Amino acid sequence: MNHFSLLARRRFLKNATLFGGSVVASPYILAAEPGRKFRTALIGCGWWGKNILKEAIASGRVKVVGLCDVDTHVREVAAEQVNDLNGDSPKLYNDFRDLLAKEKPELVIIATPDHWHALQTIAAVNAGAHVFVEKPTGHTVNESRAMLRAARSSGTVVQVGLHRRIGPHHVNGMKFLKSGAVGDVGMVRIFAHGGGGREKPSANMEPPQGMDWNLWCGPAPLHPFNQKLHPGGWRNFLDYGNGQLGDWGVHWLDQVLWWSEEKYPKTVFSTGGRPIAGPAVLTDRETTSDTPDHQVAVYAFEKFTCIWEHRRFADNRAEKHKIGAYFYGTKGTLHIGWRDGWTFYPADGNAATQHEDSKLQEPDGHNLTLLWADFLAAIDQGKKGVADIELAHRASVLPLLGMISWRTGRSLTWDGSKEMIVGDPEASRLLSRPYRAPWVYPEA
Amino acid sequence: MKRPTLKPIRPSGCRSTLTFLFLMGGLFIGCVGSPIRGTAQDWAFWRGPDRSGVVKGVSLTDRWPAEGPTVLWKAKVGLGFSSFAISNGRAVTLGHADEKDTVICFDAVTGQELWKHSYPAELGDKYFEGGTTGTPVIDGDGVFVLSRWGDLIRLNLGTGATEWSKNIARETGARVPDWGFGGAPLVMGKQLILNVGDAGVAVDKATGNVLWKSEASSAAYATPVSVTRGGVLHVIFGSARSYVAVAAADGKEVWRLRWLTEYGVNAADPIVQGDKIFLSTGYGKGAGLFEWKEPEPAPLWKSKVLRTQMNAAILFEDHLYGVDGDTTEKASLKCVEFATGKEKWMFAGFGSGGLLIAGGQIVALSGSGELILAPATPAGFRPTSRAQVLGGKCWTAPVIAAGRVYVRNSRGDVSCLQVGKP
Repeated sequence: MNHFSLLARRRFLKNATLFGGSVVASPYILAAEPGRKFRTALIGCGWWGKNILKEAIASGRVKVVGLCDVDTHVREVAAEQVNDLNGDSPKLYNDFRDLLAKEKPELVIIATPDHWHALQTIAAVNAGAHVFVEKPTGHTVNESRAMLRAARSSGTVVQVGLHRRIGPHHVNGMKFLKSGAVGDVGMVRIFAHGGGGREKPSANMEPPQGMDWNLWCGPAPLHPFNQKLHPGGWRNFLDYGNGQLGDWGVHWLDQVLWWSEEKYPKTVFSTGGRPIAGPAVLTDRETTSDTPDHQVAVYAFEKFTCIWEHRRFADNRAEKHKIGAYFYGTKGTLHIGWRDGWTFYPADGNAATQHEDSKLQEPDGHNLTLLWADFLAAIDQGKKGVADIELAHRASVLPLLGMISWRTGRSLTWDGSKEMIVGDPEASRLLSRPYRAPWVYPEA
Repeated sequence: MKRPTLKPIRPSGCRSTLTFLFLMGGLFIGCVGSPIRGTAQDWAFWRGPDRSGVVKGVSLTDRWPAEGPTVLWKAKVGLGFSSFAISNGRAVTLGHADEKDTVICFDAVTGQELWKHSYPAELGDKYFEGGTTGTPVIDGDGVFVLSRWGDLIRLNLGTGATEWSKNIARETGARVPDWGFGGAPLVMGKQLILNVGDAGVAVDKATGNVLWKSEASSAAYATPVSVTRGGVLHVIFGSARSYVAVAAADGKEVWRLRWLTEYGVNAADPIVQGDKIFLSTGYGKGAGLFEWKEPEPAPLWKSKVLRTQMNAAILFEDHLYGVDGDTTEKASLKCVEFATGKEKWMFAGFGSGGLLIAGGQIVALSGSGELILAPATPAGFRPTSRAQVLGGKCWTAPVIAAGRVYVRNSRGDVSCLQVGKP
């Protein structure tokens, strides 16, 4: 199928949905003709991007036509690995816009840092592609809104990398929770703790040879290159990520939304800082990260309170679980975790603890095989993925609001139906941010 | 414990070393520029007296008592993965604590601490616990240390005094790789050769003055390997995107082989036999055997049979013995035929440890600190003795000098064990 027929199909689908569900299925079923492989591209060929791409290749349903990364070495290594895995010889791109224009992929995997998700997802869906994009959806709230809007108007499937929506122990733990076995839940505590200490600045340096650092920074401010930032460390820099709350918090906030029948909280308050890591440094000579070393965020929902905590110091054996969610119910406490599976601690001291082990893909402890299969099933069957952009948008907004509260130092009143902060123009401005020219902030 | 009786430190310089080696019956190629060879009494440089991981002329006990080989001494050296340099009855290694790296010199027999030298250093804990990763080298009375961040120091083996010190990355403008410099220095005649920059840097070992340097782009983590061809000395470097051979005299490039490994981790040293060059790296990359051709070696075979993330395999009687797989998976120990790449045996669950071969026996330290003794043969891996000698994470290969095996873990627990026949 060429690009134009693909676009035509999207338009047909968009119209078809207006006339009801029954019409929708047929063109998608055509897409599922046996043996046909999706023209697939990856934008962001680092560690996680390749984890997703390997799932795509393992599914046997993709032909990898393009790889895009702003680092020559990274994209060339990825190309060799793809060739080893399935014999494909993808074309290599520095700029995602060239990739989309020349390869006309049907599936696009986006695993760039958060500050790129919105522009790349919007460009990909506008080019008619189905998208698998990493969490959180946006770096600011209005980017996420724009992504949702673009996805819906294109009619393509957009799946977000919230693999905990489909991980077996999450599914079963959630089933247990929703069965009423935990009783009435009035409070949820979600957290990700780890060790750490004082952070020393690292010297800024020239970016690696063959890396387009300007394009890596893209719409975000241009920082000096520093090994703390790349590879991987951008999560701990406010200009490109949103710290632990953005990286880990989104998974657990998503679990809370999955369990709850509420779509959004009424108020959000967050506090935290860097008392242990020390002050953030950014000079022309050296850099530290700038996200908090610990943070608490309180989300007041209609029927319950959710508290997020993270701490990157005082790693200890006092706390039984270091990552996950505690659902506190009248019949006991359910912990849904990571490698430690789920465990129910009954309120009745005589009742036995219940537990289910995790079933994760190692070494990185995820369930991407299942999430990728669900993405393909969504495309084949014309349905929404289990981590559809709309659910993921709602989950992603929560850490982003937490970060606005943390920055402004005050509680936010959130009108979730309009997705607006009430009565606080300063905080409201932080729902968006200025882009670095020539990039233009997407319209929500 | 007996008080240490220290032999006098032999003076540095080519002539005395030559005399010494003749006396010891060691293999020696030539004076000017040649890499110095050692004996089974010492492990003065990375991968031992022949720089191959193989030690000849020693005899190991066939079996250990149930409780394991006798522990001669134990020590703590700080966080890291640095191995040992052992010469003249002295064992030197380093570790990290409290924002400093510390070089420690022990009496090799008794473990008595003789001197220490510290310098400020970052922990560098990106995706691992951090600490020191490079291994010192001893040449005569000189101890050479290259830190992850480019500190290059010559210490006196006898006293620990600093003879000269500089930051070689700052001086040459070379890029510090993502995980810092990891290759051990290589002494060749008057030169100290370092895997710094795209294809190495040479300094005068007496003064530290730079003799030649390469482009500033990133080095990888392998130790430079010396090769003599047609009477000309060469050095092969693991660079970020290739392995590169240069003339030792001036650093002029003679060949370059594109070798892309994830994150630029070309960490395993190349293995050269005759005109054959063996390469292997991790992160799923695999191995290849190449024929020495300039300006680019020609492939003989390529395979995923051996994917060496860190410690290079050991070539012994036409077979490679090494670790296949990354720290993030269940790495195994394998025997692979050098000429063909054919797997002869595989020992699962070994982990990211290391090994040496002495007196025809494999002495392997598993990733979790089990010391294993087994005949080095392609016929199979049949351990004759096994003993849990360390806990924690053991990514550092064991070394042997005068029948004593030295092991460490990442926390810096060091153990010296009697493995040779007393």
